[in-house]
Amino acid sequence: MTPQLEEQEKLLEEAMTNVRFQAHQMKMSLDKQKLMDGLKHASSMLSELRTSLLSPKSYYELYMTITDELRYLESYLLEEFRKEQKDRKIPDLYEIVQYAGNIVPRLYLLITVGLVHIQTNSSSKKDLMKDLVEMCRGVQHPLRGLFLRNYLLQCMRNVLPDTPDDPNAAETPEGTVRDSIDFVLMNFAEMNKLWVRMQHQGHSRERERREQEREELKILVGTNLVRLSQLDSVSLDLYKKLVLPGILEQVVSCRDAIAQEYLMECIIQVFPDELHLATLSAFLKSCSELQAGVNVKNVIISLMNRLATFTQKNPSPETAQLFDIFSDQIASIIQCRHEMLVEDMVSLEVSLLDLALKCYPDRIDYVDKVMESTVAIFEKLSLDRIEYYSATSRELTRLMKIPIDEYNDVLRVLELEHYIRLLVCFDYQGRSAIASALVNSALENGTLISTPEQVDAILSMISPMVTDQEDQPSADPDPEDFAEEQGQLGRFIHHLKSENPDQQYLILSAARKHFGRGGPKRIKHTLPSIVFQAYQLAFTYSAIRELDPNWEKKCIKIFQFCHQTITALVKAEYYELPLRLFLQGALAINNIDFNGYENVAYEFFSQAFSLYEEDISESKAQLVALTLIIGVFERLSCFSAENAEPICTQCALAASKLLKKPDQARAVAVSAHLFWSGKTNDGKEMLNGPKVVECLKKVARIVSHCMDLSVQVQLYTELLNSYIYFYEKGNDAITVDLLNDLIGKIRSELPNLENSDETDQIISHFNNSLEHLRNRVECPESEGISYKGLNLNFFGLK
Amino acid sequence: MVLVIGDLHIPHRCSSLPSKFKKLLVPGRIQHILCTGNLCTKESYDYLKTLASDVHVVRGDFDENFNYPEQKIVTVGQFRIGLCHGHGTVPWGDPESLALTQRQLDVDILISGHTHKYEAYEHENKFYINPGSATGAYHPLETNVIPSFVLMDIHSTTVITYVYQLVGDEVKVEKIEYRKG
Repeated sequence: MTPQLEEQEKLLEEAMTNVRFQAHQMKMSLDKQKLMDGLKHASSMLSELRTSLLSPKSYYELYMTITDELRYLESYLLEEFRKEQKDRKIPDLYEIVQYAGNIVPRLYLLITVGLVHIQTNSSSKKDLMKDLVEMCRGVQHPLRGLFLRNYLLQCMRNVLPDTPDDPNAAETPEGTVRDSIDFVLMNFAEMNKLWVRMQHQGHSRERERREQEREELKILVGTNLVRLSQLDSVSLDLYKKLVLPGILEQVVSCRDAIAQEYLMECIIQVFPDELHLATLSAFLKSCSELQAGVNVKNVIISLMNRLATFTQKNPSPETAQLFDIFSDQIASIIQCRHEMLVEDMVSLEVSLLDLALKCYPDRIDYVDKVMESTVAIFEKLSLDRIEYYSATSRELTRLMKIPIDEYNDVLRVLELEHYIRLLVCFDYQGRSAIASALVNSALENGTLISTPEQVDAILSMISPMVTDQEDQPSADPDPEDFAEEQGQLGRFIHHLKSENPDQQYLILSAARKHFGRGGPKRIKHTLPSIVFQAYQLAFTYSAIRELDPNWEKKCIKIFQFCHQTITALVKAEYYELPLRLFLQGALAINNIDFNGYENVAYEFFSQAFSLYEEDISESKAQLVALTLIIGVFERLSCFSAENAEPICTQCALAASKLLKKPDQARAVAVSAHLFWSGKTNDGKEMLNGPKVVECLKKVARIVSHCMDLSVQVQLYTELLNSYIYFYEKGNDAITVDLLNDLIGKIRSELPNLENSDETDQIISHFNNSLEHLRNRVECPESEGISYKGLNLNFFGLK
Repeated sequence: MVLVIGDLHIPHRCSSLPSKFKKLLVPGRIQHILCTGNLCTKESYDYLKTLASDVHVVRGDFDENFNYPEQKIVTVGQFRIGLCHGHGTVPWGDPESLALTQRQLDVDILISGHTHKYEAYEHENKFYINPGSATGAYHPLETNVIPSFVLMDIHSTTVITYVYQLVGDEVKVEKIEYRKG
């Protein structure tokens, strides 16, 4: 315990001892009907409240004990005087207690007797109320005065007249609500003055303690406002003309920041929203007149939040103006309060935006107005690069995310003319955060952006994701984060979509312009989506060929667009991806069959092929790419025989040039399909049996040169299956003898393999192949081919 | 339950999985995932990982990740299941060509993708599944791609296959049984 606290406790204890003693004496005297003695002891007890040594907390304890004891006196008096049914003695007493020695006990007694007087006879209530509230001025010590007036208010609490004020009626001694208002307002004004005066007492270094003490006492002042709000007969008119002006006058004129902030908040909290709504301008005007140290932002936000909720529940003609009033007043407050922090200004705008969206969800112009006012704030302060980790940026981010989250529709955000102006006030990180929020919103809500103008607008807004920025950090971003971000953009491209194909072409061209500027690291994530959208668009034109006479020209244009887009990827030194995109193009062209499609398909296919030949060097990648090229070509049917045959041969040749023998063998085997099921533009399959066999024999030669026996047998088994495949497809250039030879060769080599998992796999593969043959021999398909002469003696291998 | 899914092609060809599929695919029900490839991004793989911890992926023609194998064999209960994307099987989607792969991998069930067209059939006592494209991704050879995936319920020697297809705006489920002979 600190010495100060110890001291306080000691002082309080001493006072309490006397209080208990005097209270006891008072009660004894009263019990003996000795009123004057009782009053004397009451006065002595009350004298303890004259101290100026106690802290507010201890003084409060003392006050509570004493006023509690006083209640004994009050009920004694009440009972006595009711019993006697005589009015005579009360005014006497009222006079008598005025002679108490000291002003503090005198006033407490006066209030107590006054209350009893009012309770037993209300004929002079009005005068007494006025008299008491005036007389309390006699105590000007802040602490003592505050508690005395609190006592006054507590005593009068239940006797304040609360009948409507009728200007035509004759004045009555009981008074009306108007008298109660005057009474409480005066008490409030006086208490506030006492409370404010505390600030200016004592040494300046004790300021913090003083403010702490004031904080503890504020509720005494606020209670006046609570009492005012409880008067049932306060009409809107009275509130407007009497109550609020009275309070505001005191609040503004006291020129004390602590009092102002607390009391404004009090007004908002204790009076009903209907009244606030009717007096908004007056209240807000007072806000702009408050001291520099007052956090006006909190006051206004608190009011706005309340009124927004209220208006949302009770829309009415009066609430229609709410936005305009707040908007104007906020503007003028920001204008004239030079000391206000920028983040506080923005956070006012955030609350205004909140109100606009809650109360007027359809008024997008209100939202834009908030954006505009915020831009104006930054312009006035010449702020054009708000740092991401600043308080202002935090508020601004909130402001800008609200429309995104509230509308769940980026198209509505795009309608806000001033949104982008605000966006550019951010630094790189701030702009990126908003860009990412916009993209996420579109992805999550499935928003489609369906005009080229909108595409331009949104891509400009999200430019920190789309292109390099002048102010971006010099260090490269984390590759995984970067890939994720760009992947989102890739997804977003599928949301740039119009039902109208011509419009869609313009959209893709617009998107291509933006994303094309993204630089080598970005385009690999974004351009493929554009290419695939373009391919789909070509199919759309193909589907409406009956309706659009220019569909072929448009398709050619689209494929030119794709060619150019894929070439941009090649220029950025990507090869695998463009190769696949070119092949996808060839397949698309093949299936659209517009006039001249053979040449276009040839161009796409040959681009893929030359990428394979010139730019893909890793052997595994080569095998994969070549297999893919062959797989694609097998599906193409757009080439004439003159074009198709050289390509088949070229594929087979490329296959035989692969680095590793097993790769060669497998790729050549795959290329054999081209000579069989590959089609030409007359719709016929090639079905070139001898060519297929030529390929497969080449495979056999390659396999025979394999040094690794296990790999060799594996490849022979694969080759056997290739023979079976084509044999069953009806290639009569393959003979049963050929199969017998190959089976024999595998059969003879198998025992030479070492025991291993690999060998087991080869044996299974071989057995499965023979099992298949056996099935075919035992249950031949009625019109299928025959395996007559197949040597089955080899069966039974383990 | 085994989820068979593939050819998502996000972000190249699609923005996301259909939301009706996302609602069906929840963690807890699925023990294994067999993916035919073309996840294209790490995000898609991570998504599958949220559905089940045991995820097997083979490499599709648009997968950059070289760590995915071209083929894979996974054993679930008494079944050997082969998994490949299918772009290396020429002609694409040809049952006889796929049978070659089945014989080589020595599997009871062969799962492949690439064609974006759902298939499930028995051929020479073996079972073949193509789960199609879960996103219904564009395919140049398929004019009307229906988003689909497959769930397999494996009990000793029986597989019950549930095919989920998004037809229009409705999810249709088909059931096919295969018994190992």
